[in-house]
Amino acid sequence: MAEERSRTSQKAAGPPDPPFVNEVRLSARQWLAAAGILAVCLALTPTLWKRGERFETGDDYRIPYALSKDYWLYEWRLERLAPTNTVLVGDSVVWGEYVLPTGTLSHFLNAQSGHPGAFVNAGVNGLFPLALEGLMRWYGDPVRHGKVLVHCNLLWMSSPKADLQTDKEERFNHADLVPQFSPRIPCYKANLEHRLAVLVERHFTFSQWATHLQNACFEQKDIPHWTLDDGGGDSPQYPNAYKNPLAQITLTVPSEPAVDPERGPKSPRHKPWSTTGKGTTHFEWVELNRSLQWSAFQRVVELLQSRGNDVLVVVGPFNEHIMADENRTVFRQLRDGVCAWLESHHVAFVAPETLPSQLYADASHPVTEGYELLARRLHEDAAFRKWNNGR
Amino acid sequence: MLFHTWPFFCFLLLVLPVYFALRKTRLWLPWLTLASYFFYGWWNPYYLFLVAYSTLLDFCLVALMDHCPREGRAVNVLARITRLQFDERVLKFAFLGAAAGTAGILLAAFLGPKTLRPTLAALALLVCLMALGALFSSRRIWLLISLVNNLALLLFFKYARFVAENVNELLNWCHVAFRLPDPSTLMPFGFEYLLPVGISFFTFQSLSYTIDFYLGKVERERNFLRFATFVCFFPQLMAGPIERARHLLPQFHRFPEIRLQNFTDGVSLFLVGLFKKLALANYLSYYVERVYENPKAYGAPALFLGTVAFGWQIFFDFSGYTDMARGVAKVMGFNLILNFNNPYLSTGLGEFWTRWHIGLSSWFRDYVYIPLGGNRHGTARMYFNLFVTFFISGIWHGANWTFVIWGTLHALGVMITRELERSDFYRTRVPRLAKQLAVFVFVTFTWIFFRAGSLSDAWLIVQRIFSAAWHDPRMPALMLGLVALVWLYQFLYESRLRPLLASAPVRIGVVVFMVLYLCLCASGGGAFIYFQF
Repeated sequence: MAEERSRTSQKAAGPPDPPFVNEVRLSARQWLAAAGILAVCLALTPTLWKRGERFETGDDYRIPYALSKDYWLYEWRLERLAPTNTVLVGDSVVWGEYVLPTGTLSHFLNAQSGHPGAFVNAGVNGLFPLALEGLMRWYGDPVRHGKVLVHCNLLWMSSPKADLQTDKEERFNHADLVPQFSPRIPCYKANLEHRLAVLVERHFTFSQWATHLQNACFEQKDIPHWTLDDGGGDSPQYPNAYKNPLAQITLTVPSEPAVDPERGPKSPRHKPWSTTGKGTTHFEWVELNRSLQWSAFQRVVELLQSRGNDVLVVVGPFNEHIMADENRTVFRQLRDGVCAWLESHHVAFVAPETLPSQLYADASHPVTEGYELLARRLHEDAAFRKWNNGR
Repeated sequence: MLFHTWPFFCFLLLVLPVYFALRKTRLWLPWLTLASYFFYGWWNPYYLFLVAYSTLLDFCLVALMDHCPREGRAVNVLARITRLQFDERVLKFAFLGAAAGTAGILLAAFLGPKTLRPTLAALALLVCLMALGALFSSRRIWLLISLVNNLALLLFFKYARFVAENVNELLNWCHVAFRLPDPSTLMPFGFEYLLPVGISFFTFQSLSYTIDFYLGKVERERNFLRFATFVCFFPQLMAGPIERARHLLPQFHRFPEIRLQNFTDGVSLFLVGLFKKLALANYLSYYVERVYENPKAYGAPALFLGTVAFGWQIFFDFSGYTDMARGVAKVMGFNLILNFNNPYLSTGLGEFWTRWHIGLSSWFRDYVYIPLGGNRHGTARMYFNLFVTFFISGIWHGANWTFVIWGTLHALGVMITRELERSDFYRTRVPRLAKQLAVFVFVTFTWIFFRAGSLSDAWLIVQRIFSAAWHDPRMPALMLGLVALVWLYQFLYESRLRPLLASAPVRIGVVVFMVLYLCLCASGGGAFIYFQF
């Protein structure tokens, strides 16, 4: 049996050092050398990658749906903006759940202002205030001191479940962005291992870049899982088994599909909510002072203010037509409470009146014409104009 | 708490600095004990009681054994009972305490809650045996108590359900109405019946101390904390390597010398283990799980490759754990035994077992094979002893007939290779590579029984490997490439090119590659396979 006997001196009192198999044993100097090489690789790769990877963004660019969880790309997107850009942040209402990039709020605001590209769609599909807080805190620094329009979607306070207050475990989007420990989110039951891993990734750019690579090149999977992707058939196919993973790296950030059957006026989803057969809905509005999402939204605004951002909050407009009558009073109290808080904290805000019923695709998302009308109303609003002109 | 998870890194970040800060005080040992108990309690705090109980009992048993004469002497039992005349006061108190304890426990069992009765009855039996040990001043009885206690714990938590199910099946077949109760009904206070992680490891480690003391191979440990740390030392508590008292216990007698080399060696070991687990074992497990969960969906090549992949998966998983355990211990200045030594390069099955899970195989050699007679009583007896040892080794791995078959196959394999090695032709003419390949193929074949969920599954896989259609196995090229790289590395390590691997640029290059690969491709991962044993 070939065994390497340890080279270290054997102490008389203690047992001999056991053999060390396989030679992957570095001395202190060698560790220093390895650490140096690794530090250079880990620190420079994400930066160099940005120089090498083609990232095409136009006037109406929005982060593609498939890359919604690519926060490194999101940060990179913000880094590429001019200081004069106005950034629209928020959930799928800002992003444009039912519409094409040319049917979003940012597109119509640009059209109204006559400056293409002035308003930038920085919404993320599937976001909510608790996640928005994480997004802004960890990845939103590039827009420091800039103009930021934040959309406040009251849908997230429409029930304890939407407010993530229920004790039963819920799976939701962007769980990696929500506070992992404090404040506690009752329905978020991730184990300690996952929570700590999330914290590490937030502070470790290389890890964020690795996630970007997975999102951009490997169908949101890590490379081992990608090679074993079963193709979704009845019998296991593993279409990627023999593919070269390196060949997947095309050094181009994927863009939105040229034809998106899920979105835009030709999509079957793009129609007024009332034609989908949905009746009115009874919402169990959560009180503002007990709402996790509202607290998170308040923290977002305070964070942006502390970063020197010029903030404007657009509250709603929520689809009041979908509401049961007895719900409306509570909703308006809630909306007034939001406005009162914003006013008391000297935050510019606009609370546009509800759009016509046929311009909503659901409780909070307008269709293309709805966004157009909303942009027009915003543009006509004195508070918005004052804020927009105050550069 | 798994070694490759962030909670463990946080745990280490707390434990190590305090441990080193306490080096000039006597508190470093209690700190290690506390950290080890916390580490174990993280999994299930209730079962901390088991470790503490097993530790305390074995500590006391050896202390009592120490008060008994080495040579058996005639004892006047009647005088001892009637006049309480004992050679040692300790034994007298032990007798009185155990007798009173037995009565008290029986009373508690009679008057107490029903769910406690089975536990208290077992305890009463044990304490009664202790009274006998004191009465007869017999080292053998104290040893017997340790054996009964440790093996009873192991049997109850690991095998009781398997035994009950099989006996009930037999009773049913014989049309007997009696049924053994499910072991979960015997748990006190309705606690959940779970297999305590690492029970096979810490009971064996504790047992080795009592047996070695009985045989006069180790001194009695008088410091309870030192002994408790030996039993539950957190790096090797869950899945070994199974340490011997004479190797590990003396290392707790004083704070280890702080050397930079301990730190660098420890980190090197840990990194290799981490890579084995996260980059290799976990990756292989994805393919293996799919194939073994639905063997009917796969052709012969996929089943064959899935089995080969499992052979490597279990090696990377278990040796990765061991490397990490040794690395953490080394950083603290402790040396744990080598548990794996490139086993897949063995040229014989006997050699394989000196390279695979060395802690366990040497335990079975020293405490089962040699006491049975080893090779001292002729070939037939030697083979019988080998068979018994491997049979028990198979059962040790789990309560399932698949493990029995696995152990039996290895027993047969060892016998056959021993016979082959007696012939000049085999020793001198058969190329080394062919022997290595034969051992690998045989070991891989036996892994089918180790991995399959049931005997029927195992048979199905064996049948299909030889009879199913030849579909493209679609095993990822990256997976094959990684395993080939590791095999090549091991092969070069045991060849004349070994100095090349020992050169600084290669070592640094390998470390950089491993870290970058882990950062880029590691995909989380589950528990270690051997935690279930």
